[in-house]
Amino acid sequence: MEEGRAERRRRTEALSHPQGGTRRAGVMTDVHRRFLQLLMTHGVLEEWDVRRLQKHCYRVHDRTGAVEELEDFINNINSVLESLYIEIKKGATEDDGRPVYALVNLATTSVSKMASDFAENELDLFRKALELIIDSDTGFASSTNILNLVDQLKGKKMRKKEAEQVLQKFVQNKWLIEKEGEFTLHSRAILEMEQYIRETYPDAVKICNICHSLLIQGQSCETCGIRMHLPCVAKYFQPSLEPRCPHCNDYWPHEIPEVFDPEKEREAGPSKVSKRSLRSRQH
Amino acid sequence: MLQKPRSRGRPSSQAERDWGRRAAEEAPSTSRGAGSSQEARSTASQGARRAEASPEVGPRSPQQLELKVAELVQFLLIKDQKKIPIKRTDILKHVIGDYKDIFPDLLKLAAERLEYVFGYKLVELEPKSNTYILINTLEPVEEDAEVRGDQGTPTTGLLMIVLGLIFMKGNTIKETEVWDFLRRLGVYPTKKHLVFGDPKKLITEEFVRQRYLEYRRIPHTDPVDYELQWGPRTNLETSKMKVLKFVARVHNQDPKDWPAQYCEALADEEARARPETGGPAPSS
Repeated sequence: MEEGRAERRRRTEALSHPQGGTRRAGVMTDVHRRFLQLLMTHGVLEEWDVRRLQKHCYRVHDRTGAVEELEDFINNINSVLESLYIEIKKGATEDDGRPVYALVNLATTSVSKMASDFAENELDLFRKALELIIDSDTGFASSTNILNLVDQLKGKKMRKKEAEQVLQKFVQNKWLIEKEGEFTLHSRAILEMEQYIRETYPDAVKICNICHSLLIQGQSCETCGIRMHLPCVAKYFQPSLEPRCPHCNDYWPHEIPEVFDPEKEREAGPSKVSKRSLRSRQH
Repeated sequence: MLQKPRSRGRPSSQAERDWGRRAAEEAPSTSRGAGSSQEARSTASQGARRAEASPEVGPRSPQQLELKVAELVQFLLIKDQKKIPIKRTDILKHVIGDYKDIFPDLLKLAAERLEYVFGYKLVELEPKSNTYILINTLEPVEEDAEVRGDQGTPTTGLLMIVLGLIFMKGNTIKETEVWDFLRRLGVYPTKKHLVFGDPKKLITEEFVRQRYLEYRRIPHTDPVDYELQWGPRTNLETSKMKVLKFVARVHNQDPKDWPAQYCEALADEEARARPETGGPAPSS
């Protein structure tokens, strides 16, 4: 099917006006560009560090300008990123509800960002761990159970010793979290892969009753089985004296965690905060 | 607070779920192999955003083209992170696929988006080389190091020293001379270094692979010696004047204190200031 040059030009011209839908795309300045470049060096970043990053970019390129409210700043950038099928997504850590941000891919559903850093058998190990985590009741998969699947991996043969190191690499790169020999998904993985996970494991996947997002770790009602994220539990039950299941109204048997308070974090002292910033810089 | 599910880019059909699973099972890359065109034919009628059309199906929709450019942008960003120049053949194989006929336009649009959104310029490493790198249009700033998620490139210091050495010695230097100099800084070819790891590997392999340096054997030398020169990426990312200024700062002197090199750097600046005919568009 031969097409003339004019036809080709006309078709590709459509691209120079991005389909932003009803939302008018914002304007990028060097402040936003530097922010994006530096944000990309992090797999996932906590809100406090994101604000710090934003202020840094203003200091470099626009000292006199007022620093835009973070939410608007990010929405502005996202309106430009829309045509590239990526966005800065906001989420929360499942254990203590810290707000976190990551630049995620909206188009492909495969583990593409991981694909550039890991070999085929390593990616398959991750997939196996992911499946075990999703199928589990606690949201954790034991090291033993993951390593027992080493023989089933695609690609080059991997020994258990090697697999242990690969799992540590996943932890360093913030795809998995390790707690007492068990592994669960890092908030980075949840942000990046929620869509993929929901589509690939529609029957096994667990959803939070409050926020309706993917749930890996959480609390569940022993009567009716609904589940909630720990931070969602904290927020939902915050005002009540007698916590009851939102679905079946039975008494909620678990300890209610505290709502994450960034101010309390700051009060704990600068050493605690900077330690976290350093940790988030590890790869 | 948490993101509400967005309908964009979210296929709901079983066919696309299978595609998603299959894509995950394929070899690591953002590639769309031959198998995907079959998938596309079954889902194209649904007008799904991610469906791909092979040429037989008909003209491609603006959404499909937009998605292709998006994939290309992401591919280039991910590949450039490794600092390895990106080959055109890899781009065609892993991203473009059936859209080969409009490759130049796709690349041009991807380059425009990369520059406007991220501040990265897509340039060809050398004319007609069909390999590309991304150059940062934003100047790195010292405080960037405090907010970065990676170490940036701590090896940049060593690279700058070697680049400086090469330039000051007349644009080419013997490997033995490099080590004679670096020894004074506590950097040895055979000894593991706290920051640089394996300095020999870094200089003669890593920097060469990234095209910052060229490493060539000098014929008829016994024992074998090699010469080091600037690689094509260096000329794109920095300049003789910048490197001279770096050297001057290290010595706490003025660039003009080296008249020969200063003249050479000035001539280089003038050559750069002349309007360039090259650009991100691929040569053909």
